[in-house]
Amino acid sequence: MAEAGSSVVVRYFAAASEAAGLEEERIEGTATVGELRAVLVERYGEAMARVLASGSFLVDGVVSRDDSRALGARVDVLPPFAGG
Amino acid sequence: MSFRGHTSVASRSYRAFEATAPVDRASAARPTSASGCDNRDMPDSARFARQIVLPGFGDAAQDRLTASRVLVVGAGGLGSTVIPTIAGAGVGTIGIVDDDVVETSNLHRQLVHGTDDVGRRKVDSAADRVRELAPDATVVRHPERLTAANIEEILSGYDLVVDGSDNFPTRYLVNDATTLADLPSVWGAVSQYGGQVGVSWASRGPQYRDLFPTPPPPGSVLSCAVGGVLPTTVGVIGSLMATEVIKIITGVGDPLVGRVTVFDGLSGGFRELAYGADPDARPVTELIDYDAFCGIAPADAATTISAEDLASRLDDVTLVDVREPWEAAIASLPGAVLLPLGELPSRLDEIDTSRPAVVYCHRGIRSASAREHLEENGIDAVHLDGGIDAWSRLVDPSIVRY
Repeated sequence: MAEAGSSVVVRYFAAASEAAGLEEERIEGTATVGELRAVLVERYGEAMARVLASGSFLVDGVVSRDDSRALGARVDVLPPFAGG
Repeated sequence: MSFRGHTSVASRSYRAFEATAPVDRASAARPTSASGCDNRDMPDSARFARQIVLPGFGDAAQDRLTASRVLVVGAGGLGSTVIPTIAGAGVGTIGIVDDDVVETSNLHRQLVHGTDDVGRRKVDSAADRVRELAPDATVVRHPERLTAANIEEILSGYDLVVDGSDNFPTRYLVNDATTLADLPSVWGAVSQYGGQVGVSWASRGPQYRDLFPTPPPPGSVLSCAVGGVLPTTVGVIGSLMATEVIKIITGVGDPLVGRVTVFDGLSGGFRELAYGADPDARPVTELIDYDAFCGIAPADAATTISAEDLASRLDDVTLVDVREPWEAAIASLPGAVLLPLGELPSRLDEIDTSRPAVVYCHRGIRSASAREHLEENGIDAVHLDGGIDAWSRLVDPSIVRY
């Protein structure tokens, strides 16, 4: 769906938002889930790496566990909560 | 999906719940009121007047609430909000599952329990509150932990499940069991200053596993006990959960199927995330071992010591507390040296290695990491299974739980 090098809107929730210091941004030049993960870890460091290790990565609303998957228009980064 | 995209309240009533909430079965089990007058099919019109008058609600919606049977998993923070709210709204039968007792550290947010309830079973305390609010409601107490062995029998008595549990194995268990039974499950969760809420309902849309297909590694997600929780988050998320319960039962509105509402108390804002089915998911066909699925291994005798065993040899070991100073100030084991996990690598020389070392923390997560670190540095050690919390439960109740 997305061509290599196109841009994607990334929305950060909860701890992902704390790690990034913002709720949403547009990231250019990444074509796959794996490339975007690498950019996020490079940009936001250990805190983001921890979120990505346990949180969900949803590409246009569909959860993705496959780093080779092509990105779409939007990615949501959502950590799970356990507390009740 | 048929219940999405409508605009008027009336047209948004998708009436789906009628199929799963047989009025006769539920009302037949309802008791008569204290006056001896059998009012099981007549909700108290004055009590519920302010909601019956709502557009799209009416007597029909109230009758559905009266006939409904809701199981609330967890009488903690979220349960504390959901249980009195759905009791007040007129849900006819409320089941409460919890195997825990009320702790002092619960009281700031678990408002269904009072100071005098400390030490009582949570199901008893919560059931008392329901009786005060809704004397005609039927309350069923389940003072046990939900397991793959008992959940199907328990669920057979209910039309809808509310998951306000505090751990991932229970969340996946509830999701899978409600998926197999095609019961709607309203789930919510909190952490620190925020929370999430959604609805899983197999025949209507995606489920919890479509959002979180893989459980996080043990210890990677903060519990309320470790990370803290602002008391208002359970009020906000619990109220949203109760709203979904009422909507699903009455058929009013659009349930949060395929959407998650995320609350951030620090910004004061809500955001919504839409999601669909995970194309790589394996269908849920049976219940599994959820502790194993979530990476929680049974205690390993080579690396752990039980609270009971430690109690019998407390004088023969070097006790290392890897918690933070504020935790040690609340509760500590006698004779322990305090070496917070972050400082451990630079303070290994403070450990007396003339006796076997036993490492402990709050619940046995940090101490497992600490034990590995000691082993890598040539110090033989075991860690206390379940931490000081298990010590308080199993050996010395005078040690404060937090």
